[in-house]
Amino acid sequence: MNEKELIEKAKKGDKSALAKLVKENEKTVYNFSFKICRNPEQAENIMQETFLSMIKSLNQFDGNSKLTTWLYRIVSNHCLMAYRKKKNQFLSFEEENDIEQKTPSNWSDIPSNAVENDELKHILDDAISKLSPDYRIVFILRDVNGYSTEETGKIINLSVPAVKSRLRRARAFLRDEINEAFRK
Amino acid sequence: MKLKKVTCKEVTDHICESLGEELNSPICLSIKEHLSSCTDCQNYFTSIEKTIVFYKKYNLELPKEAHDKMMDLLNLSDV
Repeated sequence: MNEKELIEKAKKGDKSALAKLVKENEKTVYNFSFKICRNPEQAENIMQETFLSMIKSLNQFDGNSKLTTWLYRIVSNHCLMAYRKKKNQFLSFEEENDIEQKTPSNWSDIPSNAVENDELKHILDDAISKLSPDYRIVFILRDVNGYSTEETGKIINLSVPAVKSRLRRARAFLRDEINEAFRK
Repeated sequence: MKLKKVTCKEVTDHICESLGEELNSPICLSIKEHLSSCTDCQNYFTSIEKTIVFYKKYNLELPKEAHDKMMDLLNLSDV
């Protein structure tokens, strides 16, 4: 049974179809929540909130987008709400300009599978944790999950130029942080 | 894992696509010309690409307890 059929059944109250929809999407939602929140406990709470919201508003889902896109929107809203309650913990890009291009180092010797190395995982964690969730969400949706600039803008209610600007800054910030860590 | 070696054309096409530019637009053609001879830009592109690859590969397992707790909460654990 495909996603559309499952959604239609779930809308009519079929619990087994609903359970299947949850099971098919829970890992994606959990990982996305974790990548934005950077906290396993918070990611778990947001995953629960997201599926509660999904069940509550499934009848409003028009099927014009994929279910995951709709779920990402719910996760993003929950994460950003949680973040706004404890703002000031993250790097703000509003006034800084030093994130702009520095002389790039040569990364050609760093293997792309180096992420299996615990030290690099720690570096990645550290770098992305410093990035404000407003920017982190754009980086994850656009670069990691492969959404287009327009789709990313729709998910988080941002204009195309704003998505492009945040993406450019997020990429440069992460790249510089990793670069610094490699130099140590 | 051995990575596929990409050609300069593939790299520049990818950059132009990422920018939302037509591959033969004036800006894209200028980018291609510049990138083919600029080591700094080549390094910049490689570093951004690798940053993205690192994050793509970095995933967590959903703990079984978290799954069970949620299915209970959603009243779906008996299905």
